[in-house]
Amino acid sequence: MAEKKPVYICRCQEVTREEIRKAIADGARTIKGVKNRTHATMGLCQGRTCRRLIEKMLAEATDIKELKPGTRPPVRTIKIEEVVKGDDA
Amino acid sequence: MKKTSEIVIIGGGVIGTSTAYYLTKRGKEVVLFEKNDLASGASGACDQDIILQSKNPGIHLQLAMKSAEIYKTLEAELEHPIEYENTGGMILIETEEELEIMRDFVKRQQQVGLEVEILDLKQARELQPGLSRHLVGSTYSPQDAHVNSMELTLGFAKAARKQGARIMLHTEVVGIKQRNGRVQGVVTSRGDVDCEIVINCAGAWAPKIAEMIGLTIPIKPRRGQIIVTEEVAPYVMGDVLSARYIVAKYNPEILENSSDPGIKLGVGLSLSQTQKGNILIGATREFVGYNTDVTRTGLKEILKNATRLVPGLKGMNIIRMFAGLRPYTPDGLPIIGPVEGIEGFFVAAGHEGDGIALSPVTGKIVSDLIVDGKTFIDVSRLALERFAKNNKKA
Repeated sequence: MAEKKPVYICRCQEVTREEIRKAIADGARTIKGVKNRTHATMGLCQGRTCRRLIEKMLAEATDIKELKPGTRPPVRTIKIEEVVKGDDA
Repeated sequence: MKKTSEIVIIGGGVIGTSTAYYLTKRGKEVVLFEKNDLASGASGACDQDIILQSKNPGIHLQLAMKSAEIYKTLEAELEHPIEYENTGGMILIETEEELEIMRDFVKRQQQVGLEVEILDLKQARELQPGLSRHLVGSTYSPQDAHVNSMELTLGFAKAARKQGARIMLHTEVVGIKQRNGRVQGVVTSRGDVDCEIVINCAGAWAPKIAEMIGLTIPIKPRRGQIIVTEEVAPYVMGDVLSARYIVAKYNPEILENSSDPGIKLGVGLSLSQTQKGNILIGATREFVGYNTDVTRTGLKEILKNATRLVPGLKGMNIIRMFAGLRPYTPDGLPIIGPVEGIEGFFVAAGHEGDGIALSPVTGKIVSDLIVDGKTFIDVSRLALERFAKNNKKA
């Protein structure tokens, strides 16, 4: 029952719509549940594009009205050296 | 929902799912209740290390070595890719004082059959590039390994289901029924289930479950913050810890009395790289209740410590940070076994940072105890009652 042409939802980790549907069928009810099962949102962009698409899929597939925000800092990629120097610089 | 089950397991983390797997393997009827999702607590917010050489020689190391033996064939057994890899590991040593402590630690580990040795700085740098020149050396053990904790939990759950376990996600246990000192069943958000045995595998939340039958368990949530880098080429040799991590683990009071922010947060190096290439940099050990926020101080102190020991990390980018609640116990050992005075009530929790490493052996022990009444070693030292005894002495 593979989709004829895979639709990529998370481009960084190359996760397809079908894989996310499967994760939801397996019991995922949150972004974290989808993440743990598929690695979606865990790439370089940290879900900037796909998170809203996955949230929409979760909302459609379940009776969840509102998802708790699942994002935490850092909000963008940052070089380790910059963090270490940080306020001391 | 079916109204009866021989056994009820509470908690869908790595310990609960492992226990469900081993019990159904022995032909037991099991239903597992998880209030959120599989691996939604600490099992999905940790590093990937299976470290033998961080364990105190004695029952702790014995458990880890038995678990390591099980891990070798676990992927085939579960028929699920758990990304197990026998990578080896090292503990970085910074001072002569730490070297003395680690020499003794290593010697006692060798005596019980662990393959572990001390390396000088030159040897250590050959094994792991980017190490600081101020280090004195390191330990090395070829027996340390990695596993993907989320895949492991999902794998245990999948295999348990195949063997007949019912796994009820998003179903909260809100009460435990007992009569005449015997467990009778549980009350859940989706109805009651009668059972003979209840196993508390709720990790950092185990004390809340125990409260439902008037039991006190001395487990406290201990927050561990971990940072993730972008995917990079293979860089970390296996599991890299610092000797200070061992100190942080076994001597929490030393940490709390310090004025250094990094030491106060219990920061000890834990470094490893996933199969995809992300480097996991840990970790803090903090008592902040059930708060799973990541903090700016945590971020900075973890990276300061990591780059002090491994300056080679400086040029890499971080993309994410997370925190999980390790179930801490006062003596650093998990609580595994039946509880005196409440027939049918078992605990399998309190592994702190060793839950992933010890999950196979914990599930096996609990299933052995329930089916055979005994297991491969004497586990009375892991019983909850050890804390009551200590209290009386004090």
